[in-house]
Amino acid sequence: MGSSWKRLSIRPAIVTILALTLSIATMQAHAADPQQTGQKSKRPNILLIVADDLGYSDLGSYGGEIKTPVLDGLAQQGMRYTNFYVSPTCSVSRSMLLSGTDNHVAGLGNMGELNAPNQVGKPGYEGVLNKRVASIAELLSDNGYHTYMAGKWHLGLKPDQSPRARGFERDFSLLVGGGSHFDDAWNLEWQIPKAPYTEDGRPVKKLPKDFYSTRAYTDKTIQFIEEGRKDNKPFFAYMAYTAPHGPLHLPDDWLRRYKNRYDEGWDGIRQQRLARMQELGIIDKDANAADRLFFLPRSTALVPAARVAQGRKMELYAGMVEYMDDQVGRVFDYLKEIGEYDNTVVIFISDNGAEGNDLRAMVAGQPGTMGFLHAMNNFAEDGHNSLGRKGTYAEYGPAWAQVSMTPFRIYKGWVAEGGIRSPLIISGPGVKGTGGLNKKAVLHVKDIAPTILELAGIQHPATYKGREIVPMQGKSWVGMLEGETQSPRTSDDWLGWELFGNRAIRQGDWKITWLYEPLGSEDWQLFNLAEDPGEQYDLSDKFPEKRKELIALWGEYVKTNGVIIGARSPFEQAGKHLPDRVPDYDNYPPVRGMEAIPYRKLLQLMSGSTEDKK
Amino acid sequence: MKSINKLTDQLGRISVAVIIMSFGSPAIAVDDGARTYWKQRDGTNVVSFQYLNMNMQATDSQQFDPGQFIYPNSDTEANVMIASWARHMTLFNRASLFSVNVGGGSVEVDVDTSFIPPGFLPSAVVPGSTLSQSTSGSIDPSVQLDVNLFGTPPLKSTVDLLNNEPTWTIDAAALLALPVGEYDGDKLVNMGQNRWWGRFALPIKYHFGVFAPGYMSSFELTPSVWIFAENDDFLGQSLENDPLLQLEAHLTHDFTRTFYGSLDLLYRGGFQSEINSNEVGEKLDIGDLGFTLNFQASDNLFVRTTYSSNVFGDDNLDSSIIRLQLVYGWHRLTEASNKLKTGH
Repeated sequence: MGSSWKRLSIRPAIVTILALTLSIATMQAHAADPQQTGQKSKRPNILLIVADDLGYSDLGSYGGEIKTPVLDGLAQQGMRYTNFYVSPTCSVSRSMLLSGTDNHVAGLGNMGELNAPNQVGKPGYEGVLNKRVASIAELLSDNGYHTYMAGKWHLGLKPDQSPRARGFERDFSLLVGGGSHFDDAWNLEWQIPKAPYTEDGRPVKKLPKDFYSTRAYTDKTIQFIEEGRKDNKPFFAYMAYTAPHGPLHLPDDWLRRYKNRYDEGWDGIRQQRLARMQELGIIDKDANAADRLFFLPRSTALVPAARVAQGRKMELYAGMVEYMDDQVGRVFDYLKEIGEYDNTVVIFISDNGAEGNDLRAMVAGQPGTMGFLHAMNNFAEDGHNSLGRKGTYAEYGPAWAQVSMTPFRIYKGWVAEGGIRSPLIISGPGVKGTGGLNKKAVLHVKDIAPTILELAGIQHPATYKGREIVPMQGKSWVGMLEGETQSPRTSDDWLGWELFGNRAIRQGDWKITWLYEPLGSEDWQLFNLAEDPGEQYDLSDKFPEKRKELIALWGEYVKTNGVIIGARSPFEQAGKHLPDRVPDYDNYPPVRGMEAIPYRKLLQLMSGSTEDKK
Repeated sequence: MKSINKLTDQLGRISVAVIIMSFGSPAIAVDDGARTYWKQRDGTNVVSFQYLNMNMQATDSQQFDPGQFIYPNSDTEANVMIASWARHMTLFNRASLFSVNVGGGSVEVDVDTSFIPPGFLPSAVVPGSTLSQSTSGSIDPSVQLDVNLFGTPPLKSTVDLLNNEPTWTIDAAALLALPVGEYDGDKLVNMGQNRWWGRFALPIKYHFGVFAPGYMSSFELTPSVWIFAENDDFLGQSLENDPLLQLEAHLTHDFTRTFYGSLDLLYRGGFQSEINSNEVGEKLDIGDLGFTLNFQASDNLFVRTTYSSNVFGDDNLDSSIIRLQLVYGWHRLTEASNKLKTGH
């Protein structure tokens, strides 16, 4: 009896001690990892979606005729911004996107593939995301976030430069700037003939037979989130799609989705976009759009078959954009399914202007070179019905690129608005203004990193893993997203660009550009973007003081960021590579600018008759 | 202008390539041939010259051309040249093809007359002897009209051509031969048939793969019925034939942009012969298997060779056919484009 009592009295004591021990242990665990429980709901997931070479006006919510219901829906939930800037090319933009500072500081003063002799080996011209910066993935990963990446990296090939090494715990990455979207993985660069991919830091030896880039990146993103969500940590997912970057490739069942949609030619489509952009408020009613580039003919000057042949390329481009939109929808659906969509801030951008250069010619070079031989072997097929399939290389050219960049001047590669203006959509917790349009804020891709860090409640450190890192130059948008301000910048704040020797400064509505001939004048030109977003009227003579002020800011930009103007530039002989000026454009010469006159009407005209005799 | 010139070049290549894909006109002596019914732009002309060498050793009554009566225990060799002209056009707002075939040649036959009823032998031929005969001259000329029923839009312009990516297509074709070829009522073999004859066909195609030069593949099936009027002067007697049922099939594939091949199958059945209303010989049951190789020698010119042999069906026939063919196609726009390119 006595022993029974003892057992009964000891048991509650043991249970109490165990319970207390467990409680303390649990409390300690929570204290050590605050993201595990209560704070999780306060720290949003971040889904950063980057399209590759997508034009400013391609999305339906920016005036495009391409079907993008998912991204348009995102815009309806969140905010669109009309003054968002990126760099003229992709790796340069990506360096700023992930570091929050200027590309000349972060290692991409020039594209790594195109460093000029006097830039090689100089700080800021490493051609990879350098160690003077910490990537947001590194900082987020160290502060309780899962960090995932699927898509294009283009910021370094070596293991210590890879997404894995720069903070992404899971990745499926294309390391170079582009290549086939299919499993053959042909790359334009003959030195790296097969586009290299990594998965979780390891090289991918062979892509699956049914590989298609946009679908694969979507699959991987969903897979990474699914496999990582057990611990309830928030995630940062960087979806760096390679669509619609050339070569224009599509799965077979998407090839004819826009069949004959673009047969009318670029002028009509551009006019329709302009009208829709005005209707949506993206541009002002009286906004001055850029003229058709001097070497592009009126589309009505082309015979119908030529318009069909040119239109086929735009069909493929549009198909790629819609396919990407569809895949983004898959990610959204998945996030809704797991209950994370409402706690996810989604940021959608393009990395630069639409591609109007002949990239194949630029990369492949001239006949007789290794590059040309490589391109000829692998990207020679250009049959009308073949385009878009494996083994083909199609780009849509400058005329359609200008449509994609409506209403702006030029396209990718140049610091004119057509090279650096991008759509920007943000939606999610903390973003006020459902379906709104912000035309006041002047925003830059280097703002995204500080914005994400602030959303995640992380301070940018002065040192990272024992090394000093530079402060971020970008300005957080959180105040703007929450509706406290209209812009993170005042009218005195300014932005600068330099790439391939082309230069620009924007302050308020004013912008100066220095562009190589013949697209520029190889001298500073001054534009007022509020009145002239197409950069058509050089106001240098009218406002010499303003020009001088901005040139002074350019000097400050060079000094602050260590800009070295390259001794060589891919655009230094642009005039020799661009087609000649077309003989007739718009209203010059007046008669040749007219529509065709049926012979019967011509006879009436000649006889002075005004009746339309049947 | 550089980009426009490049575009013009591309369009030129497309036009030429599409034109030259066509075989053009049916070869009346054997089968139509692979890719015969591929439609081209309205206004495209195609001429073809083909040489056929046909050898047949029959142990029973047989036919060739189709409709020529071949005696049992005969050994026949025919050498025929056929010239064809075809024009692609739009009829009833449908892609259509009109063709004319003329030709001539010679036939030699050795027959063991011991198997032939005396009444069916030419006069002065002793039953039981071996008879050798030959003849030469023109074949019966023929015209054919083929109209697409389904799957191919009218190809009135280059735009229509560019937009044409057929999958299933169905045509209807009718051929009529005129009895004006060389004919001698006293001979066992002739180049002409001395009777009206014709055909109704339903060419069906399925295109798979990419419809672009270098990538095209197709499966083609052409069921047809040949109908023959009475020959009232067959050795002074009357020759009638039941309809000839024919099934022609091709599996074609581009090996390169300028080189394609085809596996060919030709089946013929029916065609019971009656002389003076008495059945002679057996119904046909012949299957030929062969192949075609087709090489594009220039923008306009195709060189083609075909070989086929009787491999199944009637055991009483051993036959082989060799065909060599040149096909030349042109269109006004293609020629104009060539002029601009060459500066002449």
